[in-house]
Amino acid sequence: MNPSRVVTADTAVPVVASRERNRSVTRRHAIAAYGFIAPAMLVFVATLVVPLGYAAYVSLFRERLVGGTVFVGLGNYGEAVADPLFRAGVLRMALFLVIQVPIMLTIALVFALVLDSGRVRFGRFIRLGIFIPYAVPSIIAALMWGYLYGPDFGLFAQLARRVGLGTPRFLSEDWILASIANITTWEFVGYNMIILFAALRAVPSDRYEAAAVDGAGAIRTAWSVKIPAIRPALLLTVIFSVIGSFQLFNEPQVLWVLAPTAIGNGYTPNLYAFHLAFTNQQVNYSAAVSFLLGIVIVAVSYVVMLATNRSSRS
Amino acid sequence: MNSHNVREYPRRRGSGRLVVVLLTAVLAIAGCAGGSTGSTSPTSVDMAAALKQPATLTLWSWVGGLEDEIAIFEKKYPNIEVKVVNAGQGPAEYQKLRTALSAGEGAPDVVQIEYQQVPSFTITNNLLDLMPYGANDIKDKFVPSAWQQVTQGNKVFAIPQDTGPMGMLYRQDILEKHGIAVPRTWDEFADAARKLHAADPSTYLTNLPPNEGGAMTGLLWQAGSRPYRAAEGTELTLNIDDAAARKVAGYWNGLVQQQVVAADADFTDQWYQGLANGKYATWLTAAWGPLFLQGTAKGTAGKWRAAPLPQWSSDEKVSGNWGGSTSAVTTQSKHPEAAAALAMFLNSDPESTRMLATKQFLFPATKALVTDESFTSQGLPFYGGQQVNKVFAGISETVRTDFTWSPFQDYVYSAFTDTVGKAITDRRDLPSALRDWHQDVASYAQKQGFHLTS
Amino acid sequence: MTVHPVRSARSSRGRMGRPSTVLTIAMLACLGYFLLPLVWIAVASTKDNSDLFSSFGLWFADDFSLLANLRDVFTYDGAVYGRWLINTALYAVLTAGGGAFLMAAAGYAFAQYKFAGSKVLFGIVLGSFMIPSTALVIPTYLLFSQIGLVNTPLAVILPSLVSPFGIYLMRVYAEGAVPDSLIEAARVDGAGEFRIFWQVTLRLLAPGIVTVLLFSLVGVWNNYFLPLIMLNDPKWFPITVGLAQWQAKASGGGGAEALFSTVITGSMVSIIPLLAAFLFLQRYWVSGMSLGAVKG
Repeated sequence: MNPSRVVTADTAVPVVASRERNRSVTRRHAIAAYGFIAPAMLVFVATLVVPLGYAAYVSLFRERLVGGTVFVGLGNYGEAVADPLFRAGVLRMALFLVIQVPIMLTIALVFALVLDSGRVRFGRFIRLGIFIPYAVPSIIAALMWGYLYGPDFGLFAQLARRVGLGTPRFLSEDWILASIANITTWEFVGYNMIILFAALRAVPSDRYEAAAVDGAGAIRTAWSVKIPAIRPALLLTVIFSVIGSFQLFNEPQVLWVLAPTAIGNGYTPNLYAFHLAFTNQQVNYSAAVSFLLGIVIVAVSYVVMLATNRSSRS
Repeated sequence: MNSHNVREYPRRRGSGRLVVVLLTAVLAIAGCAGGSTGSTSPTSVDMAAALKQPATLTLWSWVGGLEDEIAIFEKKYPNIEVKVVNAGQGPAEYQKLRTALSAGEGAPDVVQIEYQQVPSFTITNNLLDLMPYGANDIKDKFVPSAWQQVTQGNKVFAIPQDTGPMGMLYRQDILEKHGIAVPRTWDEFADAARKLHAADPSTYLTNLPPNEGGAMTGLLWQAGSRPYRAAEGTELTLNIDDAAARKVAGYWNGLVQQQVVAADADFTDQWYQGLANGKYATWLTAAWGPLFLQGTAKGTAGKWRAAPLPQWSSDEKVSGNWGGSTSAVTTQSKHPEAAAALAMFLNSDPESTRMLATKQFLFPATKALVTDESFTSQGLPFYGGQQVNKVFAGISETVRTDFTWSPFQDYVYSAFTDTVGKAITDRRDLPSALRDWHQDVASYAQKQGFHLTS
Repeated sequence: MTVHPVRSARSSRGRMGRPSTVLTIAMLACLGYFLLPLVWIAVASTKDNSDLFSSFGLWFADDFSLLANLRDVFTYDGAVYGRWLINTALYAVLTAGGGAFLMAAAGYAFAQYKFAGSKVLFGIVLGSFMIPSTALVIPTYLLFSQIGLVNTPLAVILPSLVSPFGIYLMRVYAEGAVPDSLIEAARVDGAGEFRIFWQVTLRLLAPGIVTVLLFSLVGVWNNYFLPLIMLNDPKWFPITVGLAQWQAKASGGGGAEALFSTVITGSMVSIIPLLAAFLFLQRYWVSGMSLGAVKG
């Protein structure tokens, strides 16, 4: 029998009193929490939730160039599910996800660990350099990659021919997905690296002390101490890369200028939604496609989160 | 078959828009009724009085440096002030314009719209009919093919600003080097293409861009194709694969399959390099092409010449059009008379149009300038001193006057790239891709509520 | 390998031994790949239009036109480029600065407190991130035009102020970097919740805040589509929209001008402030700060 669980007459009053105090403390905390959240939530609701709600409303109708607008309920969604262009786009993004994301995140993690270990000179310079691609706007990226990928006068093509390898066809339909993956990796390795690096920097030093006492080497420390310590940040990068790869837009748009027939209007679902709204004047269908894509993303993210939770428990 | 509940969801424009539409209709009827009594019609009297009222107009235009032209207008109508805003070029501006129009506010009074986009704004009743404001009085100032593109029935929805009659720029040195005469017919062109590419596999007679619906449409125009014709109300005649189009598709199919023409996307780094390094011996382009080429391929100065497009038969002299803009008045304008006056003045006043041609290098839409000696007799060193303007001025008079645009040209062009363009890149059969293009657009049109007739 | 007694945080972070040359060279080689396209743009901005398409991409042409290009960039079109730079800086600083603070508070609240509706709210935050923003632009425009905010700086700042990603990121950092013991200790000391946030948490969250700030900065600096739709008047354009406008002039269709060298040089110039900001912010990542708090 556990003595602390016995409530005697002597201890009854202080227990009741402390319960009261707990409740008021909890209430005070709750008020503080709402206070902290309020400004961000206010802006969030006004600029994201309300437009999203309106977009959802719009997706239930069909506005036609002639003949006015009709209410179609879930008709747009039904059409999107059956749309071969949409389905192909989703499958394409799934393929992209499965290959590009692990490669990119592994590279980012390795870079972050190497830089955090302090065993590299010019650490700051290297960090900046790897991050810069993220800071380059798409309009410039299009110019640069147009030059690099060009089949006749592009840098890679010229180098390949000089070495006798023939002309690589980066912008051909067979290779364009890989070319996009290359650009995306180039752009986001630094971004993910920074997140992981900042997480590593925030790890309290006492974790390392234990490992150091055990005599663990750098790699062992990295594997057993650092990586588990930044699990939340790792999960963050995984989830956002998953979401990002399904929402792929900028990079295919960049290459579309250079290879307009290899990249059709529906190359990615997000690109499809954009074209539906702004080229085809099919705003309602575009909204439905966006929401359907959102549902797909929610499903996939949920699966990913479940999978990582299960693996951590085992 | 779903049964749809037909219910209109509240439009933001609401009753305001209805009022504007009614007013426009009333004015149109009044204009038509008044027109028959000549210069004493009530609407022209209204114009003079209305233009004395103070007004501030917003003009969206991506042609730079319009301040001088505006200054002349403001001097003539001292109570009207004009603000020129470059809200973006082409598609960027149209996206903004459409969003503003659907929001019910934020659209300018006068806006620059390319010819092929005008019907897409009239189908949604966003442009003002300028007939009641005296547009008919300036009709004869314009090249017929330009005027014809801005009219629907007896309504005028925009005033032509510049045009893009299509011709051919060629590298004289390359043709001479291989003993090829400047092709005057398409048959000669095909022979020349085969001969050139056989002699020099790194050079092509021309490039057929798979992403340029506008250029291809110009060639179809030249051949006499009439893909779109609006009938009454919701009826639309769609014949993208008519006989003339099939002829053009079959012709280029041969050259594309034989790989004697290039298939690079235009206006890309690859393409600019091609022009600068002699990969293409000709460029089938419009009247704005010569100046553009000067800026991009400086290393080839002196080697280019201009000529008309090759013809389908040796006794013909016809061409098509690629590009060119108009000034239109939106139905959101609170000063329709002043806005109409601005649109008409900017593009028909002799001094203003002369500036547009000489300062902004827009190829004129007015007959006066197209036949003006000082305009046509300039020799350009980049073209070996040739009077390039004269060549294009001559072409301008031969542009067919029976071509009309669809009300959804954005979609048509994008479908072009997906069907015919893709076939060009993949070197597949062009005539069947043409059929696909037609089918694609037809099903889109039906989804948009059009009733297709043939 | 001997282990030295812990005196400063750094030596216990797995930094054993001196910098490795092999590793340094490997990283520098990787760096080369990331910088390659940027070398191209730096070199390209020293060329004029015709040289651009007739000389080798990664080396200079015979004429060195950087100064001429720079002059073109800053004087073309009524010297509007300078205005664009200022606009972009304004939007970026206001949005990133304001947003980072708002999101830090929210993330901290989600991480630290249990309150009614926290799961639902956070679920909404996360859920909204999964809907692509293409769906948002037109509705946001319609809503803003009702309020009369269109064509003003607020139309560009407000929608980018708070991002679901930033809130999630701040929550993750707060969970990792703010120990409950510290907060409890401060409470026992009698500090109010806001004071705790202001004096204790913010410092602990510094690397996270700087990260979010940086991403926000970059995001707003490079944002193209939202300002394109929201702004009509070029005097309010940010650099991205302005440069795209210049570049579009090169694409033919009447009144065509070839502006390539100006666009390329203008693009290069526009990256520089971002780099400067990053260099400046890097200082705040080397955080001995949090460890001082723990030990002290």
